[in-house]
Amino acid sequence: MLNRFHPLSKISHQLRLDLLGMIYASGSGHIGGSLSSLDILISLYHSNIFDFKKDHFILSAGHLACALYTVLASKKYFPANLLSTYTDFDSILQGHISKDVPGVEYSSGSLGQGLSFATGLALGDPKHTTICLTSDGEHQEGQIWESVMFSKKYKLGNLINIVDCNGLQIDGTTQDIMPLNNLAAKYVQFGWTVTTVDGHNFNQLIKSLKQAKNSDYPNCIIANTVLGKGVSFMENNYKYHDVKNLDEKTYLAAKDELTL
Amino acid sequence: MNSHSNPNIQSIRQAFGQTIDQLAKNNPKLYVVSMDLKSSLSLSDFATHYPARFVECGIAEANAAGVAAGLAKSGKTVFLCSFACFSPAINWAVIRQSICYNNLDVKIVGSHSGLMTAELGATHQSLEDIALMTTLPNMEVFAPLDTIETQKITSVLAKSRRPAYLRLVRPSTPVLSNPKFPFTIGKSQILKKGKDVTIIGYGPILYQAFEVQSIFQNQKPSISLEIINCSSVKPLDFDTILKSVKKTKRLICLEDHQKNGGLGQIVASLFLSSKIHPKFIHLGVNNQFGRSAKNYQQLYNYYGIGKNNLMSAIKKII
Repeated sequence: MLNRFHPLSKISHQLRLDLLGMIYASGSGHIGGSLSSLDILISLYHSNIFDFKKDHFILSAGHLACALYTVLASKKYFPANLLSTYTDFDSILQGHISKDVPGVEYSSGSLGQGLSFATGLALGDPKHTTICLTSDGEHQEGQIWESVMFSKKYKLGNLINIVDCNGLQIDGTTQDIMPLNNLAAKYVQFGWTVTTVDGHNFNQLIKSLKQAKNSDYPNCIIANTVLGKGVSFMENNYKYHDVKNLDEKTYLAAKDELTL
Repeated sequence: MNSHSNPNIQSIRQAFGQTIDQLAKNNPKLYVVSMDLKSSLSLSDFATHYPARFVECGIAEANAAGVAAGLAKSGKTVFLCSFACFSPAINWAVIRQSICYNNLDVKIVGSHSGLMTAELGATHQSLEDIALMTTLPNMEVFAPLDTIETQKITSVLAKSRRPAYLRLVRPSTPVLSNPKFPFTIGKSQILKKGKDVTIIGYGPILYQAFEVQSIFQNQKPSISLEIINCSSVKPLDFDTILKSVKKTKRLICLEDHQKNGGLGQIVASLFLSSKIHPKFIHLGVNNQFGRSAKNYQQLYNYYGIGKNNLMSAIKKII
C-alpha cells in the first residue's frame, strides 16, 4: 500500500511510473532499491528543507541511479524525455550514477565510498549540509565504519547519512548474507545522533530531516523501507534487486498496480 | 636539508614535508590528509603550523582517500600522505572511483617505495605502485630524482588541480639535479649527454647510472652513456627517449619496481609500436617480493638492479 494521504504522495505515484518506464525502455535497472529509496529522495528534493544550490547530496549507493534521475528530472535539472535514454551508449544517464548528469555531485557505484566522500565534503564546507544516502547492505563494507568513526571525531554536525534499510541485497536478505543486526545501536555507539523512521512516511521523513539539520553531531536516519515498494510482486523479493530484459507482461502488470 | 654528514646526500621525504609547510603559507586551500604517518613523512611542522588543515584519519586508508576526495570537491588541494604499500595499495579502488573517475584535486603521496625501504621487509617495500597508478585514467605519476626535484614537483602539483601520484623514498639519497632546470609535467631531463647507450629511469636509483658512467668513460675504448630522468612517468616524454635512442640504438631501463607494469614495459610497448627497435635491457624486480636487509644496496644487488647489474647490462648491450 502506498501512502495516499500526504501532498507528496501524488509525486511519489508519478515518479514510480516514470521509474518503471525508464527501466522498461532501457531493459535493465536496479528497480527494487530505486523503489525503496524513492520516497527518501522525494522528501529531500520536494521539500524546502535544503537548498541544493548550496547544500550537497551524495548518492553512495550508486545503483539507485534510476530513482535519483527520476527525481532530478521532476525538479527540472534536465528534460524528463532524457529518462528513456537510460543506459544508452550516447546518454549521460549511465547505469550507475554519474556526475555528468546536472545536479549530481559525485559519481559512484562501488559501495561504501560515498560516506567518506560526504564526510570530506562536510568538513570542507562547514556552512552547508551534506546529505548522503547509503543502503543497509552497503554497511557490510568496512570503509563505512571508518568514515563513521571519522565523522564523530570531527564533530560533523552538518552531515546526515540516510540509510535505505530494506533488509535485502543482491543475493538474499542481509540477515542471511551478513547480518547487520541493530544498525541504530551501532551508530549510537559510535557517537552519532540516530533517528529511525518509516521510509515511506513523508511526515516522519521530513520531520527527521528537519531535526537532523544543524545538529551538533553527525546524524543517521535509519529509513525502514520496502524493496520494490508499490508493486506487490516485487515487494520484499530480492530477485527484483535488479532486472534484466524486463518483459512487457511484467511491465504492464507493474504499471497497472502503480496507476492510480 | 637534513642532519646527514654529507651535504650531497639528502632526504626526499624531508624535502617534501618542508616544501608542503612552505607552500601552505601562501596557499590557504592546501590540506594534508594523514593516515598516522605524520612524522614518517616529515609533516609534523605542517601539522603544528596549520592544525585546521591537517586532517588525521588514523589507520584507515580507504576512508582517508574518500575524505580527501570530498575535501577536494569543496575546493581544497589535498595531499593524501602515507606509505606507498598502504596508499595507493589498500585504497586503490577508492582512488579509482572517488578521486580519478570524479577527477578531483588530490595528490596521493606514497613514501617508502621500493627496495630502498630496506629494513622493513617485503610487506613495506612497494614494488607495484607505479603499475597501480599508471593504469588509472586521469592519474598523473611522478617520481622525483632527489630533494631538489621533490621541491619542484611538489610545488608544481600544488597548482595542477588534477589527480596525481607522487612516489617518494625513505633513505637519504644523492642530490644530482640542477636547481635551475625547471620541472615541467610531461617532460624528461637529459641528466648527462652521451652517444653509446641510453639509460632511463625514475627516482633516486638513477644515481647508480652516474656512478657507472665515469667508470665507462675512463676505460679504453670508452663508452658514453646518455642518462635520462623520467620523473614524469605519466605523462611520459617519449619523444626525448626516442630521440636519444635513434642516436644510441641501445636502451636500458632501470627501476626500483616490478618489471611487470613498470616503466620498462611501457617504453617497450611504445618502441614496438614505433619504427625504432633498439637493443633493450630492462632492470627491475622480476616477479618477486622483497625482503629485509641492513641497506638497500644489498637488496639492489640481490634483485638485479644494483650498480654491478647495470655495469653487466651495459657490457652486454654494447
